[in-house]
Amino acid sequence: MKFSKLNIDKFQRIIRKTLALAEKQIYMQFRFKYRTLLNYFAPVITILMPIIILGRFFQNNVNFGPWNSQNYIIFIFIGYNILLLRGMINYIPAHLQQEQYWKTLPALIIAPFNRYYLLFGYFISEVSLLSLPFFVFLITLFILYPISFMTLIIVIILFIGVAIVFSAIGLVLGVITVANENISSVLTFIIGFIFWASCITYPFQLFPGIIQNLISINPIYYLINFIRLTWLENNIFFTVVEHFGHFVIVISSIIIAPILAVIMFNLIYKKLGTSGY
Amino acid sequence: MDPIIKTVNLSKEYRLKHHQRILALNNVNLEVYKGEKLGLLGPNGAGKTTFVSILTTLIQPTTGYAIINGYNILNDPNKVKKNIGLMFGSEMIYYRITGYRNLKFFAKIYEVPDYEQKIKEIARMLELDKWMNEYVERYSTGMKTKLSIARMLLIDPNIFFLDEPTLGLDVPTTNFIIEQLKDLDKTIILCSHDMSIVDKLCDRFAFINHGKIIKEGKKKDLENVFQKGIEILIEITRNRLELFNKLSMLDFILECHEVKDGLTLILKDRDDYKKLISVLQSYELTKIEEQALSIEDLFLKII
Repeated sequence: MKFSKLNIDKFQRIIRKTLALAEKQIYMQFRFKYRTLLNYFAPVITILMPIIILGRFFQNNVNFGPWNSQNYIIFIFIGYNILLLRGMINYIPAHLQQEQYWKTLPALIIAPFNRYYLLFGYFISEVSLLSLPFFVFLITLFILYPISFMTLIIVIILFIGVAIVFSAIGLVLGVITVANENISSVLTFIIGFIFWASCITYPFQLFPGIIQNLISINPIYYLINFIRLTWLENNIFFTVVEHFGHFVIVISSIIIAPILAVIMFNLIYKKLGTSGY
Repeated sequence: MDPIIKTVNLSKEYRLKHHQRILALNNVNLEVYKGEKLGLLGPNGAGKTTFVSILTTLIQPTTGYAIINGYNILNDPNKVKKNIGLMFGSEMIYYRITGYRNLKFFAKIYEVPDYEQKIKEIARMLELDKWMNEYVERYSTGMKTKLSIARMLLIDPNIFFLDEPTLGLDVPTTNFIIEQLKDLDKTIILCSHDMSIVDKLCDRFAFINHGKIIKEGKKKDLENVFQKGIEILIEITRNRLELFNKLSMLDFILECHEVKDGLTLILKDRDDYKKLISVLQSYELTKIEEQALSIEDLFLKII
């Protein structure tokens, strides 16, 4: 009884601190509303060309794996939402760097503040800000290509999982950014390449064989593809059994990424510290 | 009594370009007791900020360690964090949100109970109450510094680390801030180049240069060490030159200089006062005053 009350108190404290950071971030983001809103449209510009090109391909009854003229809307709309969530990788580094230049980073670092609060505080704030365009696209897709309510819920949970993985990558990139901007630019470039090779905007089958080999060892590809297949197949049990490898990568990434990110944050911060103050 | 801060052989080495290294802190051993207000003084690049950064867990020492309120900074940084607060001038506050949102954020992460009421009280005390719902970017420098102090008062740590808390402030605001800090029953480590505020606020001083604590102690003790005699100011309207010549010849006067409206002299010993008075009796003096060493004088003598 006493033990469980202690745990509840601790959990409430964690939630309060995490939400405090998220709240502060949202208020700061809304200081410049237009910039925040315009960020929603950047993925639309990126996805516009693939829509045109894939539309042309599918007019000629060409199939790329499971994707054809009837279902490629799933591919495109989920691609948009992934691009939207991809912004989370840059969100934490950008904000930690801002904190560094504003000289508020020491206040955050010396606060009795677990790094998980930092990770999930940023995660919640960005998810809240992205939720509007995210759900507009998701509901539109639901209307255009309906699925069961259960599949819809699972897809949303999978998206949340992907967002956690992206935030975790962002946290590691963030601590590297405040410690050494030079290395962080190289990592940003590498991450850009990893995302290019994860089939966000073009199907796997469209790429030449050598790049397909590269994509096959890219876990981000499996995260994204599993969401698309879940929607397309509209039967989570079938999808899990049929694409068990995908499923294992998705689940392990969602569990391991935040833990690994916090360990790496602490190690890198301990080793390199931060320039500034 | 155990010290609330104890540093043991604390050293920090930075790597520079071309494989060069610089020792920012060199085996610093310092003890600070509960309730003490310690002025940490040193020229630019002496190691003050590095010292504060290590004690506040912002950076790791290369060797050595520190104990803060019973917790080792290396092994228990999270427990150390609950005991400390850091203020760096008007920084460490968010300019893009309001003063109230700033304080609310810090109150929540430091788990301050009844923070709404406390924010109101502190804002009123620091005369910020009318500005709490304005964006901080619209505040003057003085108001930003006051908000920074409000943050410290709100989180109410056991130990305050203050780095240049009055930088860029006018005299009334500086005095106001000193008064607020002076009344606090807290341990304070103050780094500042403004000797007057260090003198007014601190009861103990540590002088740091080239990464080493070169002298520490209470002001009186340091004066006894560094004052080679008793400095006396004499104001005289007539026969100043004659008195100057006379005093310069006496063996119990170590130094004598002409200044505006009078002379300053350094008496060898307190016992020589009688001999001095007998000399001065035949002159019309408007003022005679013993001069104490200021912290600035001590700083210049020590560093």
